[in-house]
Amino acid sequence: MSFNIEEGRYIILGSIDGLLATLGIIMGVSVVGASNAIIVSAAFGGAIALALTNGLGSYLAESTIEHGKLAITEKSLLRKLDNTYVESQSRRKIAKDAMSSGGASFIGSLIPLAPWIFSVGSVAASVGLSLISLVALGIYSAYISRQSYAISVVKMVGLGTLIVIAVQLLRIGHLVQ
Amino acid sequence: MSQIKRLVLDVLKPHEPTNVEVASAIGDIRDVDGVNLSLYEVDQQTENVKITVEGIDVDYDLVLQTIENLGGVVHSVDEIIAGKKIVEEEETLHDRG
Repeated sequence: MSFNIEEGRYIILGSIDGLLATLGIIMGVSVVGASNAIIVSAAFGGAIALALTNGLGSYLAESTIEHGKLAITEKSLLRKLDNTYVESQSRRKIAKDAMSSGGASFIGSLIPLAPWIFSVGSVAASVGLSLISLVALGIYSAYISRQSYAISVVKMVGLGTLIVIAVQLLRIGHLVQ
Repeated sequence: MSQIKRLVLDVLKPHEPTNVEVASAIGDIRDVDGVNLSLYEVDQQTENVKITVEGIDVDYDLVLQTIENLGGVVHSVDEIIAGKKIVEEEETLHDRG
């Protein structure tokens, strides 16, 4: 199986962002006793915003880097590379990375949101699905990096657990007030 | 204009596309029978290659256009063989010295 490491980076980055940020929104909104519709609406809005910001952010960042690389190569070749295969490959990479980042973020956002979309919403179900997804992301990450699957999964799930605890602490803080 | 049978080009190109892709793209040009691409210098951003193209009627403009589209620059045309048959370079007294 061939895969692009650069794309893998954006898939992991976007997925974690979408997954955990949306989980945070769901946990935060559910504490005030919001209805299913309000939670879906808030989390879906967050998912769209995250997908757009991740996609556009990656597009802008990759554009900067790719055009910088092209400029350095042009200087070495003493020629412009406009309208060449090299430039088209560069543009293709920018678009693919932006799509990977934005798309992965949106798909990641839908995972904790799924139980609420199907009206069986519970924070525990969202947390459970998110942790299962983080295990899958950990395996994917280890596959790309050729590192230990166990360590990669523990790191991913550990990160997710930390965020769940942090948001849970905020919920407790809110309830105390 | 007589037909070009062989072209030897000194080309400066970026690392991407790879030499395999460049050789393959030139090989796909019509009337090109074979391509030899030899790498002889690698720098941080670029590499120098010698490209030998052979065919019954090699279209120089098309070869040049393909190389330029792939980001390369033809530094020099080191050898051209044109006409009805392939004539190899003869060694002269000057070469022996």
